[in-house]
Amino acid sequence: MSEQPSSALADIPGLLRIEDPGREALTAHCVELTHAVYPHDQVYGRYCTIHEHIDCPPEQVYDYLRQGHHLEEWTCSLRDFAPSGTPGLWVGRDRLEDDTEIYCRVSANPEAMTVDYHCSWDQGEKLWMIYLMRVVPASLVLDRPGSVVTWTNCRHPYYDDNPHPGLAPRPDRPWVGDYWDLFYAGHTVEMNNLKAILEHRHRNGLPIGVPPARAVTR
Amino acid sequence: MTTVSLTDVASYLPGEPVPAEFYTGYPGAEDKLRDSPMFKVPPARHHVAPDESNADMIERAVQPLVERHGRDAVRGVDVLLVHSQLPDLPFVGAGTEVARRLGANPEWLVDVANAGCASFVYMLKLARQILTTTDARTALICNAQSAAGQWFTQSEVRRLAQAAIPGDGCGVGYVTTSAKSPVLDLETRHLGQYAGDMTVAVDDGRKYWEPGTSQLRIGFTDASVAKVLARGNRLVPEVVSAVCERLGVPPGDIGALVTNQPNRTFLRNWREALQLPAERHPDTFDRCGNLFGAAIPVTLDHAVRSGQVADGDLVVLAGFAHAGDFAGAAAVRWHGGRG
Repeated sequence: MSEQPSSALADIPGLLRIEDPGREALTAHCVELTHAVYPHDQVYGRYCTIHEHIDCPPEQVYDYLRQGHHLEEWTCSLRDFAPSGTPGLWVGRDRLEDDTEIYCRVSANPEAMTVDYHCSWDQGEKLWMIYLMRVVPASLVLDRPGSVVTWTNCRHPYYDDNPHPGLAPRPDRPWVGDYWDLFYAGHTVEMNNLKAILEHRHRNGLPIGVPPARAVTR
Repeated sequence: MTTVSLTDVASYLPGEPVPAEFYTGYPGAEDKLRDSPMFKVPPARHHVAPDESNADMIERAVQPLVERHGRDAVRGVDVLLVHSQLPDLPFVGAGTEVARRLGANPEWLVDVANAGCASFVYMLKLARQILTTTDARTALICNAQSAAGQWFTQSEVRRLAQAAIPGDGCGVGYVTTSAKSPVLDLETRHLGQYAGDMTVAVDDGRKYWEPGTSQLRIGFTDASVAKVLARGNRLVPEVVSAVCERLGVPPGDIGALVTNQPNRTFLRNWREALQLPAERHPDTFDRCGNLFGAAIPVTLDHAVRSGQVADGDLVVLAGFAHAGDFAGAAAVRWHGGRG
C-alpha cells in the first residue's frame, strides 16, 4: 500500500489527516466527538453491530456458522428449515410471527471466515435481510484462545417499507422491520445462545455441529 | 442520627473579568489547541490580585455569611475545613490564618489537600461526620482557587492552551446540625489507581521548589487528555447515580446538578449521561473558567442567587479530581440561606 500523493487528495473536502489539521487538532476533534453516553438510535439506528468472545476454536465456530441449519439451534425464532427447491436456498419459519416463511442462503468464505446469511421474509426472489458475520481468531486480537464473532445488520429500506405486503400470510401480520429497534437486544440474546452452545460442546469434547433435520438440496 | 444541613453558601470572585484576549492576544500564544474542546477558551475569568492570598479570598467570600447569619455564628464555628488549590506557602495551610481572620477558634481544623475539584463534596462529608459524631454544631468549609492569576500567567505558561481555562475564585459553605436544608446522602470514592497521573511539568527536571528558569505547568499530553476524558465521563455520572439510587430517586428528578467546571465537553457529557436539560445544570464556565475546587460552591451560590436553584430543589453537587483520583457526589434538599 503506497501513500497517495497529497495532490490526489487536495480536491476532496472533509478529510482530516495528521498532515492537516495536525495531530493536536485531530485529537481535539476526537475529544469533541467523545460523549459519555450515546442514544440507542444513534448507535443502532442505521446499523446494528454486536460482537462476542466465544471460547471455541475459530475454525470450528466458522464451520458451525456456515452450516445454515444450525440457525435452528442458536437463533431465537428461525425453525424448520428445508430445501426450497432452488439449490442453496432454504426455507423455514420465523416464529417471531405466525405463519411466516423465511428464505435463507448462506454465503461463506473460509479464508476470511465470513458467513453471510442472505434472508427474506415471504419470498425467496430477493434476499435483502443480510446478516454479516465474521469469525476472528481471538489469539490475534485478544491474545487469548477462542474466537471473536462480529455480527452486523444494515437497515435496508425494506425494513421500513415492506415491498410485497401482498405476500404476507394475513393483512395484519406485523412486518420484520417493526422490530428493528429490538435488533440489538434480540441479536445479543442469539449471540449468547451461540456462545453457550459452542462453549458447552467445546468444553465437553462433544461434536460441535449437528446433522440437519432435513435433506440437503445438492 | 443528627441531621446535618448545608445551611448556606457564599462566594467571592476577585477583580474585574479578564477577557479571553488576555491569552489569545498574547505574543507567541499557542493557537493549535485553541479549538480543543478540552481547552476551549471561556470568554471571561477572574484573576487574584498580585497581593491577594487564599486567606484573603476566603475572608471576602465569608462576608455574606456574616451578614446573613451574624458575626458570632461565623466566629463560633466548631469545624473549619479549607482547601487551597494553590497553597500560598509550603508547610503551612491557610486554615489557621483563616481562623485568625475570622476570630474563630474551631476545635476541628483541617487543611484538606486531596479531592481537588470535588473537595467541596469531600469536606461536606467530613463536616457531616464530625457534626454527627461529636459535640460540634457548626462548620465552615472553604475552597480557594488562586492559580489562574498566578501560575497560569507566568510569561511562558500564559502562551499555553491550558492557561486560558482556569479562573480564580472562592466559595464557602456553612454547615450546621439542622434539618432545614439537609444533606441527604453522599458518595465519595478515592481511586488510588489514578493517583499520580496528573503531573506538573518542569522542563529542566528540577524539583518545583528548586531554583531554575523553567516555569511550572500542568503536564498534559494528548494521551493523558484522552484517558482523563474517559474517566471523567464515567466517574461523575457514576457517583451521581449511586447517590440517586440510594435515595430512590431517578437522576431525572435532580432539580439542579452542580458540578466542577473543567470544560464544556465534560459539562455536556455529564448532562447527557444523566439526561438533564441544560437549565438544570447551572454552570459558571463562560464567566469564571475552570474554578477547580471552588467551582462547586461558587456555581451553587450563583445558581441560588439567580434563582436557578429553587427552595426545595434536590441539589446534587458532584465532581472529580485531578486525573480521576477522586470522585464525589452529595445530595441536598435545598432550603438554604437566604430566607
